[in-house]
Amino acid sequence: MSDLFGNINVSGSGIAASQTWLNTIAGNIANMDDVSPTDEATYGEQTPIFEPDAAFGQPGQGVTVAAVDEGSTAGVVESDPTSPLADAQGDVRVPDIELGGQMVNMIQAQTDYQANTSAMADARTAYQSALTLGT
Amino acid sequence: MDGIIGVLQFATDGVSQQQQATANNLANSETPDFTAEDVNFQTSLRQAIDAAGGGTASLTVGPDPAPMATDGNNVDTSTQLVDAQEEMLQYQTNVEMLNAQFRLISGAAGGSFS
Repeated sequence: MSDLFGNINVSGSGIAASQTWLNTIAGNIANMDDVSPTDEATYGEQTPIFEPDAAFGQPGQGVTVAAVDEGSTAGVVESDPTSPLADAQGDVRVPDIELGGQMVNMIQAQTDYQANTSAMADARTAYQSALTLGT
Repeated sequence: MDGIIGVLQFATDGVSQQQQATANNLANSETPDFTAEDVNFQTSLRQAIDAAGGGTASLTVGPDPAPMATDGNNVDTSTQLVDAQEEMLQYQTNVEMLNAQFRLISGAAGGSFS
């Protein structure tokens, strides 16, 4: 046991990681309809990289977000001659993000968040019972 | 510390470690290539209690043998959530048993049994 009420911190790291994931999904969905000229980069799909926070041979200390991967900014070239950003061929560059995939990730991130809060509530109940010792 | 209080103390610490492992597994339920942790102390504690003349119990942290998904992660969220509930109740039971022991000591020493 490394620190007082350590189990709560472990679940807290999980909540923070899920929150980061939800934030990246929100950013991805918000930028789905970005439009750029074909000679410029567009928004790349963000994905958090999770890593276990562990000391060897010890129970793990939770999870950390090692980095947020910014996917390919190449996007896809679409024809949209009415756009003011369209090039001579009438093409524009848009992000390569699908709403379906983002929604599935969002459900996963949400479930993850809930599981961590549930584990945190359990840890809290156990610690509270420990505080009754000897009373 | 030996005797029933020592056993309960060890078991309570052990369950707390199991809770931490469960919390850690849940926190890492989306980490690629993560292997779930499995903390066991019950087998060792039982052997120590059964041993003639007393024994020493220990706690082991090992990998969970559950099958892994395509991303190399083998955390089963539902199993872990069930474990979390079980461990919480086990912890509370241990604490209650410890308190019962303390009440007995208090009563035997001339104080109140309740």
